[in-house]
Amino acid sequence: MQPTKSVECDGANGLRMFYSPSCAFVFATAILLAACFSSCARKESVKRKHLPPPVEADISGLPPGQHGGVFIQTSPGEPNTFNPLVSEDATSGSAIGLMLEGLTRYDPVREKVVPGLAKSWEIAPDMRTHTFRLREGVCWSDGHPLTADDVVFSFAAIYDQRFPNRGASDQTVDGHPHKIEKVDALTIRITAADTYAPFLQTIGWAPILPKHALQKNFDDGTLMKAWNIGEAIRNPDSIVASGPFLLHSFRPGERIVFKPNPHYWRADSAGKRLPYVDFVIMRFVKDFSASTVAFASGQCDAESITPDNVAWVKKSAALHDFTIHERGPSPNSSFIWFNQNPGKNKDGKPFVPAHKLKWFQNKKFRQAVSYGIDRRGIIDGVLFGRGTPLWGPETPANAKWFNPSIRQYNYSPKEAMKLLNEAGFKLDSNARLVDAENNPVSFALNTNQENPIRQNMATVFRENMKTLGIEVQLQFLDFGTFVSKIQDSFDYEAGLLGFTGGGDPAGGKAIYLSSGRLHQWNPCQPKPATEWEARIDALMNKQVKTLDENERKRLWGEVQEIMAEEQPFIYLITPNAYAGLKNKWKNIEVPRIGSIIWNLDEMFLAP
Amino acid sequence: MLLGISLLVFFLMNLAPGDFLTPIKAQRDISPEYIASLEKEFGLNEPWYWQYALWLKHVAACDFGYSWSYKIPVTELLAQRAPATLLLSLCSLVFSWLIAIPLGVVAAIYKGSIFDRATSWLAYFSLSLPEFFLALLAVYFAAQTGWFPTGGLTSFDFEFLSLAGQLKDMAWHLVLPTVVMGVGNVAALMRVMRANFLDSIRAEFVTAARSKGLSENQIMFRHVLRNAINPLITTLGFSFSSLLSGALLVENVMNYPGLGQLTYQAFLREDAFVVLGAVVLGSLMLVAGNLLADLLLAWSDPRIRHEK
Repeated sequence: MQPTKSVECDGANGLRMFYSPSCAFVFATAILLAACFSSCARKESVKRKHLPPPVEADISGLPPGQHGGVFIQTSPGEPNTFNPLVSEDATSGSAIGLMLEGLTRYDPVREKVVPGLAKSWEIAPDMRTHTFRLREGVCWSDGHPLTADDVVFSFAAIYDQRFPNRGASDQTVDGHPHKIEKVDALTIRITAADTYAPFLQTIGWAPILPKHALQKNFDDGTLMKAWNIGEAIRNPDSIVASGPFLLHSFRPGERIVFKPNPHYWRADSAGKRLPYVDFVIMRFVKDFSASTVAFASGQCDAESITPDNVAWVKKSAALHDFTIHERGPSPNSSFIWFNQNPGKNKDGKPFVPAHKLKWFQNKKFRQAVSYGIDRRGIIDGVLFGRGTPLWGPETPANAKWFNPSIRQYNYSPKEAMKLLNEAGFKLDSNARLVDAENNPVSFALNTNQENPIRQNMATVFRENMKTLGIEVQLQFLDFGTFVSKIQDSFDYEAGLLGFTGGGDPAGGKAIYLSSGRLHQWNPCQPKPATEWEARIDALMNKQVKTLDENERKRLWGEVQEIMAEEQPFIYLITPNAYAGLKNKWKNIEVPRIGSIIWNLDEMFLAP
Repeated sequence: MLLGISLLVFFLMNLAPGDFLTPIKAQRDISPEYIASLEKEFGLNEPWYWQYALWLKHVAACDFGYSWSYKIPVTELLAQRAPATLLLSLCSLVFSWLIAIPLGVVAAIYKGSIFDRATSWLAYFSLSLPEFFLALLAVYFAAQTGWFPTGGLTSFDFEFLSLAGQLKDMAWHLVLPTVVMGVGNVAALMRVMRANFLDSIRAEFVTAARSKGLSENQIMFRHVLRNAINPLITTLGFSFSSLLSGALLVENVMNYPGLGQLTYQAFLREDAFVVLGAVVLGSLMLVAGNLLADLLLAWSDPRIRHEK
């Protein structure tokens, strides 16, 4: 015992000795921290270079503002690339969209194609030859003139087999690429293989690339490796832009800072060159929730808000001075469908048991299920009332193309039962629904587990079906598993999924054509299995070849009617869309569909 | 070992449903030709063992492949993120050693005192707190008080700061992740230190030193501490191995732009070569760390050198 005691009393000395350097460390840290706090408030003012706008600048129709301000947005996920040929995700796409422009642009508020890099165009009487005239005096961000050579170069790159890219098929008609000819330094003639209704819109999706900067990569076949994120980190200026912004810096895992392109080709009515803001910061966050939280706590300037989050985000609207704009129904559909694929797998087993396939192929069965769904109940229960029932492929958001007079299936178990009886189904003594051969009606509904709203909708659906005596088993799968089931192995009975719609009906080819990859009830048919599918094929093919917009509306309207009548997809609801924006920004124009900051170049800070 | 680990990772990633192309397959405006051309380019139409063999062949030539989503070499991608993770790990290592060793020594010297009991209690408490939970608490703390940033490594105006300003900015961002990563380590190290120190105090050489009339300070800090610290040096080797791989959860919760975040995202996206690259890097660090630990131990403990 004694040694211990002596250790204790001497240990006190030791403690003092040992602790002194450590104390110094703590002290130093404290000083360092204090210094940090003081430095945080510091903001550097930035000098901008103002060049006179080009001769044929595009003049904004919105009220003029003044330069200045930093616009902060958050993004779940970060760009994988700054090369439009490589990009295949929304985040890369939106970053590239700030920097590169196409020949035409689309104004989502006025729902029409407006001039982009091309000032004007003419369509020849053959309805497929388009002559585009570029703006005079427009330069790339490095001061190099933008000419017809850049356009020819861009299309050569898009069509080149060495560079497989997502956008190439957009720039084809019936699988044929357009013919691109340079007429003079500022004139381009583009000939499509056939008349193609959305031509002017889709041609704008092809980003015009700077030939002077990328020719070398094109020649030696390294174009897909150009403008990668390594390049963006080391040498942001090498990514030459024609859009409103260019890269200032990119820090992976943290943020991108964009600065204004001093050579951007748009100006306001007072002759000031756009964009107004000094910097755009795209901050990366973990996921959509983190992004919403960042907006609700005032850390960013704009955010799309899902219906289930509106109520709590609204609470801090006054504190952080923002407004939540109601955009009405979103273009996102959600639907349930039955697997009607009559095929067999490799072992000769049918994808769907024969008796179930018979129900699924029966229109009256599908219509009865549709009558049995309480869509109002889903909206109230899952979306707190912030949604709209959906009856067909187009949501009311796409006002131009939406057909309001299609068949509706308002909740009516009585109507459902009537149809089921007509189709030979009846209730047995246990109140279970059985078919004509006395097979109890039950099926498994799959949806992806990452989406809680879909899971909740599936749960309501199961309860609704119980009322009809139908037993539904719910299976929540990983998205990857689910997609491989519906596209490769086809071993499932029913699915619940959604599409992001909106835009031109030509975009629905993969879904509505019977040969389509996403024609999910029975995809990739060599020839249409039913008469109504053949009719849809004919209508879809005809509407892309018709330039008269009213005629197109009629044709697409009929497709919507058939889809509503036949119910291959039993449409459920569409959530309403909301956009939050800080009030300090002016010239805000929130469109019904698409990015809420599509006109970021015209937005300015209130004085 | 490296072979085994990479094979296992490859196999497990193959078992996971879907592949890198699944998300784009579900989009309506992608043409089937494009999907087919990507499948061919990435070799996804081949069986997994064949894909692995191809990968191995390239690795033998020091080529870790290209990231499918970023289209840049995996080595370059890892090199972009490694410094941030290294910085965080080193900071937390220094932090935990600087706190744990003195606390352990003091707890041993005052064995049974209030201080000893309080630190033991704290140690058990912090050992039982999972890192990611602590990270969540830290983010909440930062959001509530506003004293620290809620994530990241730099502020928005980083590029416009002077060099000193940039250093300060980074230090300010590093405080919370360092503490979160370090706390569990402090507790473990402190307990080990205390136990070793107590063992050494009871050793015969201490009595011998006392009888020679050495001062208590000299005994404690020259002789006892030196003997007690040896086992910790082995731990240092293991810490080294986790320098580049230990921060996966914390980085993801705190939005810290390091390797862990990259690996996690690559894994979710099934960008196979990036995951493999990160795993191989982690395993290499483990091997190197063990070697380092042995060398350090030999340097600090003459008995190990002389046994040969």
